[in-house]
Amino acid sequence: MMKKLLPLLLCLLLLTGCAPKPESLDIFAMDTYMSLVAVGDEAFDALQKSANIVNSLEQAMSRTIDSSDVAQLNATGSAALRYDTAVLLEEAIALSEATLGSFDVTIAPLVALWNISGDNPRVPAQEEIDALLPLVGSEHIHLSDGSASLDEGCAIDLGGIAKGFASDRIAQLYHESDLSGGFVSLGGNVYVHGENTDGEKWNVAIQHPEVSGGYACMLSLTDAFVVTSGGYQRFFTAEDGTVYQHILDPATGAPAASDLLSVSIILPYDADKLHGAMADAYSTALYVMGEAAACDFWAGQQNFDMVLVTRDGRVLYTPNLIDHFTEVEDSGYDYQVLTA
Amino acid sequence: MTSMQKWTTKHLTLCAVLTALALALSTLENLFPVTLLIPLPGVKLGLANIVTLFALYYLGTGSAFMILIARCLLGALFAGNASALLFSLLGGVLAMAIMALLRRCRKLSVYGVSIAGAAGHNIGQICAAMITLGNTMVLGYLPFLLLVSLFSGALTGFVVALLFRAMEHVKLSRT
Amino acid sequence: MTTKCSPPELRPKKLDILVAAVVLVLAVVVAVGFYGPKLGQSDHLTAVISVGEEVIERVDLATLKEDKLLTVEGECTLNVLLSNSGAEVILSDCPTQDCVHTGHISRAGQSIVCLPGQVVIHLEGASDEGAPDIVVG
Repeated sequence: MMKKLLPLLLCLLLLTGCAPKPESLDIFAMDTYMSLVAVGDEAFDALQKSANIVNSLEQAMSRTIDSSDVAQLNATGSAALRYDTAVLLEEAIALSEATLGSFDVTIAPLVALWNISGDNPRVPAQEEIDALLPLVGSEHIHLSDGSASLDEGCAIDLGGIAKGFASDRIAQLYHESDLSGGFVSLGGNVYVHGENTDGEKWNVAIQHPEVSGGYACMLSLTDAFVVTSGGYQRFFTAEDGTVYQHILDPATGAPAASDLLSVSIILPYDADKLHGAMADAYSTALYVMGEAAACDFWAGQQNFDMVLVTRDGRVLYTPNLIDHFTEVEDSGYDYQVLTA
Repeated sequence: MTSMQKWTTKHLTLCAVLTALALALSTLENLFPVTLLIPLPGVKLGLANIVTLFALYYLGTGSAFMILIARCLLGALFAGNASALLFSLLGGVLAMAIMALLRRCRKLSVYGVSIAGAAGHNIGQICAAMITLGNTMVLGYLPFLLLVSLFSGALTGFVVALLFRAMEHVKLSRT
Repeated sequence: MTTKCSPPELRPKKLDILVAAVVLVLAVVVAVGFYGPKLGQSDHLTAVISVGEEVIERVDLATLKEDKLLTVEGECTLNVLLSNSGAEVILSDCPTQDCVHTGHISRAGQSIVCLPGQVVIHLEGASDEGAPDIVVG
């Protein structure tokens, strides 16, 4: 009789498999390391679809995949664009204009010249930079009805915005799926969705730019994009000992000499807007601008939130973030709320 | 099984009385707030299992099952709570199924059957909680509930044993 | 009334103890199954090292008796120093050196990523009050 009882009880234990557990997916794509988590009935499905989104965006926008729209455009000067590429390129031009050129996808020839994130970075001569600078500017891109062309010698690199765009697409997918929560972390581009596994808002830490493993501050957020740009992780040290970080200033064609260590842009999810791409572009642009110009830019627009870490040890954040913001005690920073 | 039972008035009345008794016990249970110990709405000691167990031995599986269902439906109706129905149904049916199986084992006394039934009752309730809450976190309460079921099961068994001893002197419905 | 029901055994029998024991064992099994992994998780800082998308090694840092130097062969070769306090890439033959620049990581949720090498060192576990869910930067 006990033999009958045991299987029965064991079957009951198996019933426990029905509740949602966090699913996670880690992939190397779009020149970065991506970490995705989803919780809910459709978590597994959502992650598979996310991977497909990332792959198809990479196929369309990678500079190194010959068949991509971007590679075609750069190689031949014109190309028919996939839907997503056309949408993003148009957005990139708009963001470039909004940031007065501090973010610019046509910086590609100079990125290639410095090659800071590549195998053989080098410090080019000023003449080399000057020769390429006229090629920078979104006026060199001509969009028309699903195709694009570039002026002679120009090239584009969507690397500074494609990850943000991918987070937009995945955020949209998360919203259409039956999920209680999740997040997407695509190399400095984070989107947090719904609740964390404790049923609360997500705790997003902004990395300390100077103390490895430390945090500059914590944000508690839901359905929001957080994108951080900084020069502290990707850089190279030249033979004379000068450190060159990887974000180039489109105005000078050289690594931005910013008085900021990192810029984080926070935007809420909006189904009708590409807030992930916008946060991605803004974080780069404001880093290039530096503290004063970045603060002026925010005061003039006030349609986004940000956290700036300055080189002289201050953390500045926008007043909307006060309720979501937690200081980190041992960070060594002074915390200040910006006023418009 | 007792599929070909004759539904005498006596039998029907006995079933009705037992259903009423089970309902009363379900209400009585609310005086023992297990929910203080285990904060899950709907979790109960399972005193109504006394009736299930008694009916199983005395009237057979079919009648016991009907009493159980009637008790669950009426109980939910009185409480006006549909999720409570799931709790009592899953708990009750599982307890019943286990006890119906085990009572055929001659080497088990009413105590063993009762303890297994109480455990089944609690497992059923946790399953109901997992279904209604949609997560497995509640599974963490199961070990405590199972320990509780050792005592509540023994208590139920004791009551039923008392009942049967008393019944030896009463020829109730055995015709 | 013709029930085939036999009257129950009213005195406890030996097999009853077995039933009680089974219930007890079940309680313990569920408790261990449910709380066991959590205990392991919350007590021990663990370094999970993966190449590509595959986990190649998990090292329990809390129980390390001495610092451990690990050579990880991805697309590039990394020398990873593991200690009770965390992990650090001390040498890498990758072109970007981002992994070395990341420095020492010590808290659950943090990771070191070597893109060219496709190597990830991720710290798990060690319940840390107020630990972030995600680190951005």
